[in-house]
Amino acid sequence: MCLAIPMQVVEIDGFNARCAAKGIEREVSLFMLQDEPPTVGDHVLVHVGYAIQVITEQHARSSWELLDEVLGGERPADA
Amino acid sequence: MSDDARTWLARLQALDLPRRVRILNVCGGHERSITQAGLRGILPANVELIPGPGCPVCVCPEEAIYQAMQLALRDGVILLAFGDMLRVPVNVPKDEPRSLEQARAAGADIRPIASPLEAVQVARDHPDRQVVFFAAGFETTFAPVAAMVAAGLPDNLLLLSAGRLTWPAVAMLLDGQAPGFDALVAPGHVATVMGPEEWAFVPGQYRIPTAVAGFSAGSLLAAFYSVLRQLIEDRPFLDNCYPEVVREGGNATARRLLEEVFAVGEANWRGIGPIPASGFILRERYAAHDASRRLPDHTDATRRRVGEMPPGCDCARVVLGQIYPTGCRLYGRACTPRNPVGPCMVSDEGACRIWWAGGIREPEPGTAA
Ligand code: SF4
Repeated sequence: MCLAIPMQVVEIDGFNARCAAKGIEREVSLFMLQDEPPTVGDHVLVHVGYAIQVITEQHARSSWELLDEVLGGERPADA
Repeated sequence: MSDDARTWLARLQALDLPRRVRILNVCGGHERSITQAGLRGILPANVELIPGPGCPVCVCPEEAIYQAMQLALRDGVILLAFGDMLRVPVNVPKDEPRSLEQARAAGADIRPIASPLEAVQVARDHPDRQVVFFAAGFETTFAPVAAMVAAGLPDNLLLLSAGRLTWPAVAMLLDGQAPGFDALVAPGHVATVMGPEEWAFVPGQYRIPTAVAGFSAGSLLAAFYSVLRQLIEDRPFLDNCYPEVVREGGNATARRLLEEVFAVGEANWRGIGPIPASGFILRERYAAHDASRRLPDHTDATRRRVGEMPPGCDCARVVLGQIYPTGCRLYGRACTPRNPVGPCMVSDEGACRIWWAGGIREPEPGTAA
């Protein structure tokens, strides 16, 4: 359950963002990043619908490779 | 395996290892990565990797699940829970529903959700109904729950909290007669939120080598290398092998929200008992949204096997790292993911389920603790 998925911020409206990963878009809350707000294009780690940390694109890619192996294609919404 | 992982493995294999080293992890995600990547098979035989208390659903009090079921069955609330929770069995007579899933089949309005945001949405969609979010989880999950509460809840949304902190369970093991491990790999996403410093007491007070790890084979092998080297050189410290995500102090907003919304107090762990300072309890100012204060208490202390694991299930000892899943007599026999007997076979974070999904069918050489 502590699994977190890397996603890219596509659009920001207040604390709500649309984030994308592997062609799937989701509503993500940025409420927990108030001290370090991301901007469009940034990568974030998402856990149960909330961004918990801003990460580098390079890390976003490597954890995607990992999630592909571990989850075998499970959807981000299941994280 | 990535180059990074290969490098750490080679360094680890070059170490002059003690006869037997037991490395505990306290995160279902770590255990899943270890099992899926087959790390046990490639490490030197004297290094044992022990899955410990890394599954919030597994230790969620049986009484709390029973209470959640009764709220949905008797009081007609809409009961929301993370999907993992729905099949966890409680101890009831044969003719009563024994899980949230069975209560739902019996007509209760129980719905799985994947995010606290969905809880708010369901409450908004049903302003005339009482909606209860029954939440289990560790710090990583409870920071979002705190964010949900702090952002403002609809009047009809209540929280039934089974939130737990991870480090107090490790502290309890270390204070016990036989902790059962020589080194610790600390949970990467808990440390992302809370900061790695939370784990400094393990090397500091107990002289147990500790490293925060991420979820790739490379990060885990780096952490194993770090703690083994700390052990060999007798120089325990807190290492951070997930620096690209885990930063000093953690996520400041998340910690502030947790502090604002929840008090920390003694809490019950299923099959284990109360652990001091290990539970998230809604603060007084949110009492109007606290299901345990606002709604009828259906817990019945005289119920048979109240609070315990299901009969024959060794999940509590699995959670404490005292036995491997394969050490349970029911593993793979009476208990499989299709017909789970205990919570460790239900939850995606449960060691029994992770081992079964990873194809482990035979007892491992050597036994835990
Ligand atoms: S195998 Fe099943 S019965 Fe045995 S400890 Fe695990 S969950 Fe419990």
